[in-house]
Amino acid sequence: MLTAIDFLIVSSLLFSLGVVGIIINRKNVIVLLMCIELILLAVNTNFITFARFLGDTGGEIFVFFILTVAAAEAAIGLAILVVLYRARNSINVQDLNLLQG
Amino acid sequence: MPVEKVIFYCFAALMLFAAFMVITSRHPVRAVLFLVLSFISASALWLLLEAEFLAIILVLVYVGAVMVLFLFVVMMLNMNTAPLKEGFSRYLPLGILIGVLFAGQVIWLLLDNQALLPEWRSLQRHAADYNNTEILGRALYSDYLYPFEIAGVILLVAIVAAIALTFRGTKSSRKQNISEQVKVTKADRLRIIKD
Amino acid sequence: MTTLYALSLITVAAPLLASLVTGLFGKSIGTVVSHRIAVTGVGLAFFLSVVLLGIVLQQQISMHEISLYAWAVSGITFEVGFLIDPLTVLMMVVVTFVSLMVHIYTIGYMHDDPGYTRFFSYISLFTFAMLMLVMANNFLQLFFGWEAVGVVSYLLIGFWFKRETAIFANLKAFLVNRVGDLGFLLGIALVFMLFDTLNYQEVFAKLSTTDLKLTVSLWPGMDVSAITLMCILLFVGAMGKSAQIPLHVWLPDSMEGPTPISALIHAATMVTAGVFMVARLSPLFELSDVARSFVVIIGALTALMMGLVGIVQNDIKRVIAYSTLSQLGYMVVAVGVSAYSVGMFHLMTHAFFKALLFLAAGSVIMALHHQQDLRHMGGLKAYLPITCVTAWIGALALCGIPPFSGFYSKDILIEAVHFAAIPGAGFAYYALLAGVFVTALYTFRLIFLTFHGKARWSHQKGHAVHEPGWVVTLPLILLAIPSAVIAWFTVEPMLFAANGYFKQSITIDTAHDVIGQIAYHYPGAFGFALHAVVTKPFWLAVAGIATAYLCYVRFPKVPARLAREFSVVQRVLVNKYGFDEFYQWFFAKGTRNLSLWFWSVVDIRIIDKSLVGGVVHAWGASARLLRHLQSGYLNHYAFAMILGLLGLLSFWLWG
Repeated sequence: MLTAIDFLIVSSLLFSLGVVGIIINRKNVIVLLMCIELILLAVNTNFITFARFLGDTGGEIFVFFILTVAAAEAAIGLAILVVLYRARNSINVQDLNLLQG
Repeated sequence: MPVEKVIFYCFAALMLFAAFMVITSRHPVRAVLFLVLSFISASALWLLLEAEFLAIILVLVYVGAVMVLFLFVVMMLNMNTAPLKEGFSRYLPLGILIGVLFAGQVIWLLLDNQALLPEWRSLQRHAADYNNTEILGRALYSDYLYPFEIAGVILLVAIVAAIALTFRGTKSSRKQNISEQVKVTKADRLRIIKD
Repeated sequence: MTTLYALSLITVAAPLLASLVTGLFGKSIGTVVSHRIAVTGVGLAFFLSVVLLGIVLQQQISMHEISLYAWAVSGITFEVGFLIDPLTVLMMVVVTFVSLMVHIYTIGYMHDDPGYTRFFSYISLFTFAMLMLVMANNFLQLFFGWEAVGVVSYLLIGFWFKRETAIFANLKAFLVNRVGDLGFLLGIALVFMLFDTLNYQEVFAKLSTTDLKLTVSLWPGMDVSAITLMCILLFVGAMGKSAQIPLHVWLPDSMEGPTPISALIHAATMVTAGVFMVARLSPLFELSDVARSFVVIIGALTALMMGLVGIVQNDIKRVIAYSTLSQLGYMVVAVGVSAYSVGMFHLMTHAFFKALLFLAAGSVIMALHHQQDLRHMGGLKAYLPITCVTAWIGALALCGIPPFSGFYSKDILIEAVHFAAIPGAGFAYYALLAGVFVTALYTFRLIFLTFHGKARWSHQKGHAVHEPGWVVTLPLILLAIPSAVIAWFTVEPMLFAANGYFKQSITIDTAHDVIGQIAYHYPGAFGFALHAVVTKPFWLAVAGIATAYLCYVRFPKVPARLAREFSVVQRVLVNKYGFDEFYQWFFAKGTRNLSLWFWSVVDIRIIDKSLVGGVVHAWGASARLLRHLQSGYLNHYAFAMILGLLGLLSFWLWG
């Protein structure tokens, strides 16, 4: 039978892949956003696993909200990206160092 | 080997492979498509966990809407991909190190504490009349009513924000640009032509 | 007694008013009007002082207190007031008389000086300040006068402020006086602490009820008698103002000022303020044998050592300055052995003959066109007859030759010390006896080198050497008269009469009333003068004069040979025992070096660079390091978050 450990290991591996993606993709903002989606997916999987094995619906509700927020985040993030691209004609992260002041 | 395990391993492997391709593919469009694949694999895993509603939502809303949005943006921006991959190999060792540390620690933790939670060991199937959607619906409209409404507001804000950010204004605007008018010089307005 | 009130107020106000008018409007009213106003102001003060003296003598007034107004009341009353008693009026008469003489003399001496009106303003202001000092009825006003005369002294020493030496001298005078004044101020503070009042009479009244065994803890385990400490601290103030060893160094340098003020301030009046103060506070000093011993020893040291230095000086004014130091030492010894009245008596006679000598010296300097070096004088008696005669009178008085006034004061003074029994008096007696010889030697060295022998100055064409005008000679004559005769009338009433002049002003414990012992076999003024021929001081003075005559008139080569033979002694004396060099090295240079060290090491290196700059640099350095974290690149921040996450995970796992 499947155990919680199996799911948890898979989601932790997925999480790690997302993290590694953030580190190695230092240029492309869109890929960064996708990596964040991966991480969120791992987290959601974790939540559902715990909800299922602990018999608590709260975890699934949480996934529901996370999906909501992630959708909103993706929408706004992509909108910012579009504006950014218009302004600087680039989505290269190296060009986005205005935070340096 | 029970069929569930076979399904689990297949989709888990597919999901991790797709995720791997997301982070390593050269072209964003391919990355988005692999992301879609990984989401679909994940929804299969969620189905195994009998979270049917969320699995469907993931495919419908996430893959159907958000990923299409991604794809749309990637294609619209039509970026030059070559420079975006610079430094990839340079940071690869660091990425692998951190990834291994991450996954290794978590997995080590999980395996080490496996014995502490015996009731997690095996997945008991729900009864035949178990209705995941109904349970979620009941919870959302009772205990989680306020968060649910707030989530709705967040989505509304996101829509407004996205439109406000990307809206360029009507082309026919006759607004004065006062600073430009002030900064105007003779050369902007007058050209002397000698014969 | 409204008469006394009005008289004393006008006495003080007249010089102040004259000073203000000449000082503020001197330029517009002109020199002649200025000096008339100043002379009138001081003349009025002198006249009223004499009137006051008459009233005090006639009505037997003792300790009449006049309170002008209280300027602050807060538990203790701070007031401006006058104390009219025999001691005060005597000082007033002396001060205003000498001041008047100097005012008149100044008309001639400062004739062509651009600062003419300023000078009159200063000396009138000095007269006012000195009157405030002597007429004070409380310690605070005494201190005010004390500082005010110090300020005027500072201004006048540096009167020719374009001369670098004058500026050095006035700063030196000011700084050295600060040392004394600090002691004085501490003494006053102690008075206030013990008696809770600053009024003389209240303090004296409380003496009988105060526990004399009170002690003050200087530091843990070091308890000293409060009264003794108080007297010594007050006397430290006197040491500064009256230029006693080791605070004497400013007085010779103060000769950089114009001669009239050397006569007025640095010979006759201000420098005697210390002696006056001790006499005024006699009830306090009577309570502490230790303090009086201290006074005696300091005075005796000053009297002898400074006299010796006077022998080797070549500047005519400096010789007289060292003579003043020495004579101040005599007075201080006198008040130290409880012979306050003798100290005051010597103060009075000294004021006359020392002012006379200074003014005579000024006359010589004027005649020789500001030549002050004794080596370039000589043979002036034919050219300056009046100056010569009056200087002789002053010199004889200074040496204590009967029947001049100095003889009485000095002889009785030495006699009083002879009778005194307090520790140090024995030493003081022999020091003063030796001082008599030394005094005669340097005084007549000055007289002989100036007026006798061959002329060592060169005639300049068109500048005939002659007596300056009457404004110079008149004060000389007027000062010569009291120098010669004043003691004849005053010695008995002031010192020995049964109901003595100072009876009410000065308190003497009968246990050491040396004056009483002298009075026991005092033969009267005439008899005392005749008696002189069998006393040691007289013969010592004569010996001094004879030595001076031999060395400087008959055998002018002897001094140079002596100087060669005893070159060590000569060098010590010429260097004035090295006080100046030591102070210069230890205090001036030492303070400078210490300050430089504090500046370069403590301030710049420790405070500026290490503390203030260190904080800045630490922040700067850490900021320089941390700004690399703040790259502005999104992925760096993301990476930082990941690292944080990893760290958190590791912490929970392993921590």
